[in-house]
Amino acid sequence: MFNYTELLWQFITTDFKLRYKNSYLGIVWIVLKPLAMFGVIYLIWSNIFKMDADYKMGLLLGIIIMNMFNEAIMMGLTSLMSKAGIILKIKFPREVVVYSSVTISLIDLFFNMIVFVIFSIFTPVSTTFVGFLLFLFCIFTLFVLITGISLFTSVMYIKLRDIHNLTMVLLQLVFWMTPIYYKLAMLPENLQNIVKLNPLTTIVVYARKGLINGPDVRLEDFAQTGIIFCVSLLVFVLGFMFFRKRVSKLAEFF
Amino acid sequence: MDGEKPIVELKNVKKSFFLPHEKHDTFIEYLSHPSRIFKRAGEQYEVLKDIDMKIYPGEFVGIMGRNGSGKSTLLKIMAGIYEPSGGKVIVRGKMVPFLELGVGFNPELSGRENVYLNGIILGMKKRDLEAKYKEIVDFAELEKFMDAPLKNYSSGMQVRLAFSIAIMADADIYILDEVLAVGDVAFQEKCFDVFRQYKKDGKTVVLVTHSPASVKDFCDRALFLKDGVLHDLGSVDNVIEAYVNG
Repeated sequence: MFNYTELLWQFITTDFKLRYKNSYLGIVWIVLKPLAMFGVIYLIWSNIFKMDADYKMGLLLGIIIMNMFNEAIMMGLTSLMSKAGIILKIKFPREVVVYSSVTISLIDLFFNMIVFVIFSIFTPVSTTFVGFLLFLFCIFTLFVLITGISLFTSVMYIKLRDIHNLTMVLLQLVFWMTPIYYKLAMLPENLQNIVKLNPLTTIVVYARKGLINGPDVRLEDFAQTGIIFCVSLLVFVLGFMFFRKRVSKLAEFF
Repeated sequence: MDGEKPIVELKNVKKSFFLPHEKHDTFIEYLSHPSRIFKRAGEQYEVLKDIDMKIYPGEFVGIMGRNGSGKSTLLKIMAGIYEPSGGKVIVRGKMVPFLELGVGFNPELSGRENVYLNGIILGMKKRDLEAKYKEIVDFAELEKFMDAPLKNYSSGMQVRLAFSIAIMADADIYILDEVLAVGDVAFQEKCFDVFRQYKKDGKTVVLVTHSPASVKDFCDRALFLKDGVLHDLGSVDNVIEAYVNG
């Protein structure tokens, strides 16, 4: 009954437009932030260790994915709060606000992937159609996971502002627990097992494999990602139920 | 109206808010009374007490009451923004609440962009907005300014734009909170024309206002809200009298 998709699209375009309003570089910041991080880590790390040829592109892709995760989690967290003015005046399906916030991270990803493609002209990668599919599957899994988490955090944030600081700390932890600038094989075995528990590890590892080592992609890589996809889907379903149950009682707490 | 189903129906609606008695927010204060972390000192303050109300299609109902009597809370419950603490709200039809004009307006966006943003938030279709865009701009008398950012508008211009979008929203029930007095006298007259049109079209309107004149001019029926209790005093005049006498 409600113009759900139009509202969703309106929120996405408005928020996207507003984010870099009154800034000279505008949407260039979307690619500048991960690029700067890539520059710093690459400069330091490649001088300390001898890295193989795939390291550079793997690092870039890892940072792009991690950046998407970080930005989306922070935007999802504050999504309800930042639309408080609208939520307190009009009734509409509240989850639209969460979906629009996290979807912006997909647009960011698109711009960053253009940079990745430009880089790949100078440092070639080998991808295949199947490898590209694996990459897309990884990104979709990540998107479902982010949305699920945001459905929880956006509601909790209204009553518990500590979540903001807590999330920033946790994001740091997740960054170090994901093989972005190091390789999984560099870690001792017990540490590897811990890092493998992080769903982002699987997502980053297989997204890289799909896009950088395409010919090596096997069916079991899809199966491995599929497990994480099921976990993400569960987080999403639980998040949705939590959100629906709690959000209607929250108007007076904004 | 006999036998006709009410378009808005409130049954024993209650709403209470938590009213804290002491403020203990620092860590040390929490440590001295650990139980407060989970249960803060305070009471449930009843803003609305057992509201029963039936509004029939085509009615123009005015609600009057002093500040803090619960008018806005009542409207928010009707609009589905607050969940009642008890009781039931039934709405049979498409409702557009105007608890505030220009919901979602962003000062950084242009007038044009804000028309679409606000319109879609109010539940309009983008295609309809495109069709009505010129009409909206003409009504607001802002042809020249539509590409300027909203922050450069005067407050009167902003309100005019907001109102012009709002009246394009097609609904069966309109909820209006204090939005009657907009702009200069000439623009107000245009707004009143719109309300007369609503009346002619058989729309249902719930209006909260402090202006006895508006109630007298438009409302078929008026209700008086005092300390969270809704009084049906019979005629519009009685309600105005009760309101004026506090």
